[in-house]
Amino acid sequence: MKTGKISASRVMKYVTLAAILAFVIILMLFMSGSTRPFDEVKEAVAESLDPDELTEQDCARLKRDFGLNAADFSGVAYYSAESTISASEVLLIRVKDYEQIQTVLDAVGQRTESRMKDFESYLPEQAHLLADARQSVRGAYVFYAVSPKAGEYLKAFSGSL
Amino acid sequence: MLFSSITFLFLFLPVVLAVYYIVPYKVKNFVLLLASLFFYAWGEPVYVFLMIFSVLFNYFCGRDIHSCGDDPRRAKLSTAFAVVANLLILGFFKYYGFLLDTVNAVLPVDIPYRELPLPVGISFYTFQALSYILDIYRKKAEPQKNILYFALYISMFPQLIAGPIVRYTDIEEQLHRRKINAVKLGQGAMMFIIGLAKKTVIANTAGAVFERISDIPTGSMSVLTAWLGVLSYAFQIYYDFSGYSDMAIGLGRMFGFEFRKNFDYPYTARSATEFWRRWHISLGTWFREYVYIPLGGNRCSVSRNIFNLMVVWTLTGMWHGAAWNFIAWGVYYGVIIVMEKYAWGASLDNMPEIVQHIYAGIVILTGWVFFFSPSLGYSLRYLLAMVGGGSGIVDSQGIFILYTHWLLYLLAVTGMSAFGIRLIRSAVRLFRSVPARMAAASVIYMGIFLTAVAFLVTDTFNPFLYFRF
Repeated sequence: MKTGKISASRVMKYVTLAAILAFVIILMLFMSGSTRPFDEVKEAVAESLDPDELTEQDCARLKRDFGLNAADFSGVAYYSAESTISASEVLLIRVKDYEQIQTVLDAVGQRTESRMKDFESYLPEQAHLLADARQSVRGAYVFYAVSPKAGEYLKAFSGSL
Repeated sequence: MLFSSITFLFLFLPVVLAVYYIVPYKVKNFVLLLASLFFYAWGEPVYVFLMIFSVLFNYFCGRDIHSCGDDPRRAKLSTAFAVVANLLILGFFKYYGFLLDTVNAVLPVDIPYRELPLPVGISFYTFQALSYILDIYRKKAEPQKNILYFALYISMFPQLIAGPIVRYTDIEEQLHRRKINAVKLGQGAMMFIIGLAKKTVIANTAGAVFERISDIPTGSMSVLTAWLGVLSYAFQIYYDFSGYSDMAIGLGRMFGFEFRKNFDYPYTARSATEFWRRWHISLGTWFREYVYIPLGGNRCSVSRNIFNLMVVWTLTGMWHGAAWNFIAWGVYYGVIIVMEKYAWGASLDNMPEIVQHIYAGIVILTGWVFFFSPSLGYSLRYLLAMVGGGSGIVDSQGIFILYTHWLLYLLAVTGMSAFGIRLIRSAVRLFRSVPARMAAASVIYMGIFLTAVAFLVTDTFNPFLYFRF
């Protein structure tokens, strides 16, 4: 009887350790950030973007649209559609400090919410794009995309890390 | 979730307390466990699973070690396996980036790596788990049969994120039987309020002053400004961490648990050795119990004792973070404590008390410079500014900071000894009857609470400094 209990504890400790290892591997594959320089990640993301759809914007535009100061972060790339009837945009930010992630996510949330209100009454297809926006936090990187090709852009971002 | 947040104070805590006090005694541990998991998952929705796996792993390891009771070799191997596995998990999350950064800096290579944020509280709960494993191996504790009770020991929300590091032997009995009553609830609430005020009123304000000073290039810093900077940091880290500990111990008492104190007025110390007997007591006790004494402690040759001390202090530095400045900080204290023991300790004891306090003050503040500096080079430049290597002795910036924050420094100095709490007690004792004293205490603590909340709502997001360790 006692032997049975012993082997159960022993087996379970190996099983739980294996579960921890599997969990860490999953985290590394799907959640980890990267020390890869911001410029390299930005370049990889920029190459995937449709130039007819998105144009790179400056810091002033970032401040106007998201209320974020580019100087607060270690890297910022912001692309949006020139046309006012398109909701498409892509934002890539590398934070200096993990505590900034929540600030960025809050800004993204507010931006999405206010644009949903703007679009849902007269351009429902753009409101759908906003509802289907892709967002990802990988280590110090925050990525946000609103576009019919948002999935592709997210894939390019993940692959660049 | 932060203790010093509106969500915690006015939603989470009242709801958990109400449910905890309403449910039957048998269910209380379960309620507290659920609340603890929710509390952790609020900030770490992914890493909560890592903590649960860690609980399961250590629970089964404890039972396995115990089952090897009649075979010391197997018990030793099983313990070593559990200790190494725990340290590898902690090391992976905490040190692997630091290791690769060091390799990249030393060798002519540039290895990019995938980084993961540090799970909040991992250093604290891993050390608690290790104390459980090692105490079972040393037969100082029996393995916990009830997995929910063990999970509660590891994950209990009052001390989960930033300690104190509660040793299993200190809490084993309480997990089964503890007194839960209105007196303990009131005492716990008072401790919690004091801790909250320490954090929101003093630590956050001192932190804002330090942040402002640390933005000044060290070359443009006067001696006065440099000293005000390090003094502000010293107050920030003390009131931040001891405030958190007070809140944790107070919350524990509200739920019927008694945790040992983690701070004992460390800035009243007269030497570095005494400082460390008063600062982060639970960490010092942990290293003494599980590293220093097993290495031989002081019952050995002088050279071996020096080696033991240096190992413990280097590890203490490393525990605080994966960066060379923390290691330098640990080694710095190792050297000072060795010197106090074998070189100047006896002479220091014969000096006037005021000299001893000045000595300890200089040693402690110098230590904080290593601690807060982003690099070793910065810490040396900052130390240089403190002795006049920056921009003169006094400047308008320093005078302005002193003039606008004198009340902060006065409050901080008052609270760093028992004088502060004696003041509150004296005010209560002005009244003779028990009901009048109770009413006076309620008014005073309510006043402190409202002040702390007023600071909280006007402040920006200010997590506790020790969350990052």
